[in-house]
Amino acid sequence: MPAISLRGIGKKYRIASSKSLRLREILSFGKKQHSQDFWALQDIDLEVQPGTTLGIVGRNGAGKSTLLQIVSGVLQPTTGTVEVNGRLTAIFGLGSGFNPEFTGRENAMMNGLILGMDRRQMLDRFEEIEAFADIGDFIDHPVRTYSSGMKSRLGFAVAVNVEPDILVIDEALSAGDAAFKKKALQRMYELRDSGTTVLFVSHSMGMVSRFCTDAVLLHRGHLIASGTPDEIVSEYRDVLEKAQGQKVTKNAERDRQLDYTIAHEDEDDMPDSPNGAGSRESRRATGEAEVLGVELLDENREPADQISAGSDLTVRVRARYARAVQQSSFGVVLRDRSGTLLFATSTNSENVSLGARSEVEVVTVDFTFGVPLAPGSYGVEATVTGDGDRLLGQSEEKTAFEVVAEEHEVWGLIQVPTTVEVHGRDPEEQGQAT
Amino acid sequence: MATYTSSEKRGLGGAFFDALGTFYRRRWLLGYFIHRQVTRSYRRSYLGLTWAVLGPLIWVFFLALIFSHVIGIKNRGVEGDPTLNFGLYLYCGLLPFLAFSEALNKGLNSIRSNSGLVQKVVFPLEILPFTNAIASMVDKVFGFGALLIMLLFFGRTLHWTLLYMPVIVVLQLLFILGLTYIMAVLGTFLPDVGEVMRPVIRGMFFVTPILWPPDRLPESLSWIEDYNPLAYLVNAYRDLILAGTLPGALSTLYFALFSVAIFVLGFALFVQLRPRFADHL
Repeated sequence: MPAISLRGIGKKYRIASSKSLRLREILSFGKKQHSQDFWALQDIDLEVQPGTTLGIVGRNGAGKSTLLQIVSGVLQPTTGTVEVNGRLTAIFGLGSGFNPEFTGRENAMMNGLILGMDRRQMLDRFEEIEAFADIGDFIDHPVRTYSSGMKSRLGFAVAVNVEPDILVIDEALSAGDAAFKKKALQRMYELRDSGTTVLFVSHSMGMVSRFCTDAVLLHRGHLIASGTPDEIVSEYRDVLEKAQGQKVTKNAERDRQLDYTIAHEDEDDMPDSPNGAGSRESRRATGEAEVLGVELLDENREPADQISAGSDLTVRVRARYARAVQQSSFGVVLRDRSGTLLFATSTNSENVSLGARSEVEVVTVDFTFGVPLAPGSYGVEATVTGDGDRLLGQSEEKTAFEVVAEEHEVWGLIQVPTTVEVHGRDPEEQGQAT
Repeated sequence: MATYTSSEKRGLGGAFFDALGTFYRRRWLLGYFIHRQVTRSYRRSYLGLTWAVLGPLIWVFFLALIFSHVIGIKNRGVEGDPTLNFGLYLYCGLLPFLAFSEALNKGLNSIRSNSGLVQKVVFPLEILPFTNAIASMVDKVFGFGALLIMLLFFGRTLHWTLLYMPVIVVLQLLFILGLTYIMAVLGTFLPDVGEVMRPVIRGMFFVTPILWPPDRLPESLSWIEDYNPLAYLVNAYRDLILAGTLPGALSTLYFALFSVAIFVLGFALFVQLRPRFADHL
């Protein structure tokens, strides 16, 4: 049984330029028409299997939010049927239902009850919610004293602790600071891995390709493509480029540049820029091994996509051999956003032997190294090579992560561990000299 | 596992009773909402909920003072009971009227003012007008308490007929709920109705025997009182609280039937049109 099944969904709005025109239309009993029909969505057929993480991408006004609202049951479709199996929680803007006069605790309770929890369940989970929101004593202060970040944290804490079967998120993660984002993301990974079906609208292509298992592309109210996140992301780029192509302006060159910047703006957390793609290994893998996954873990061995500068990163590579091999080596390649090779290593160069492996055997290798890198986005690729440096298999895409500054700013590309010693003739004179 | 099919076609009856059941299933939500409504206006004050009683108390005290010997506008003695302070008589009529006017006003905006809940979460919308109506009734119960305190203060005996008040209050609640639901639907689809309702509510104040005793009405105009459900409520309040008599059985029956009818009508209308609210905000 699919978690969500949409058949022939359409949503029509009637657009009139003013209320008085609309009134004239009503009073003319259908003789005059001043308003236009506008289909926000048309002929949407979609089935989402339980456990899927579905990214919904498209330009502004493509109908993404309308689709989510219809799935959540907030809006009724004009045509078609919606079927939802399971408890559904929708997050459209965090903490939007909060009342400023009441405390965080009272609002969290209200929010939970609104989302369909029992009072008892909420009381049981309160500690968890409080810990997740991590706003300290503010939990017992009126929400009007909160910063907007605190509001989103509390809102998100409640929403994800409701333990939905289906979670619908509309750009909710754009709020909050890096630390909270990381936590929120981690929680979403947990939910995803525990089998929650997630519907996810984002303009961040990085998020979509990293987080989702499937994706669909909406364009002007039509569902024009569905497939793997990477297919859809590249289709989306095509759509954006086509939109650029239609524009003819005098200042074509600058216009093109601007459009490029805008189209790729959301890639700041995604290293898949054209340079990167171009500099990628041009060798073709033989297919004797298949890289199943590249996972990034932080110092605590928790899945992460943000690493603080200077701390250790573990890259976990999982690969399956398609045929028996006598010897092989797993390798990882670290690149920056522009595709520049920063660092590469392999089991061979680290003098670790993988030995002979049989067909369909799955091997997992962890590479742990420090990332003394400047804050920014980076990507990791994995390879499996055989004897004679034959490329048996490689990861299909880069796994992106972000380095965030922890202590002080990093000038340049890397942060080289440095010791500073001051030599002077004698300390007093030194003091005078400066 | 909770399963819903939002496009499922159900009969109106099924939807009606299903929505009624929501009040039980989501009773905690309902409770918190009512609590929130009642306490909201007192949140920032130092005395908090005490004001719910203190506010009406000050008001009824002033009314009593204005119409007492002290100030001397003691006017028209209340028919049949010259000892009764006109201020208390007035206040007793104001209680049901205020519950009525608040329900209408709040009902009109009950969906619009909660657009966040309507558009952003899957929310049982029938709870919104319901909490508005209950909250303003709870408020009037505090006002009723204040009235009893003043009656004791003026040395009047409390009649045994007060025990019948809950019956009247339940009927009044059905009446008010029905109106609130109708207003919620009208206010959502036709915002202009609000402008129409304001003079209508003010007019209702004057055609209801609140300021004037009902027996002053000329025979030719008695229909104003006979066909006015609000007049029945005002008279019933005064009978039970001040006079210690029971309201007429037949008029009570009519009012009960009318209240049930308006509730069923209002609620059914609301349930039927509820799916389209989000499109109209």
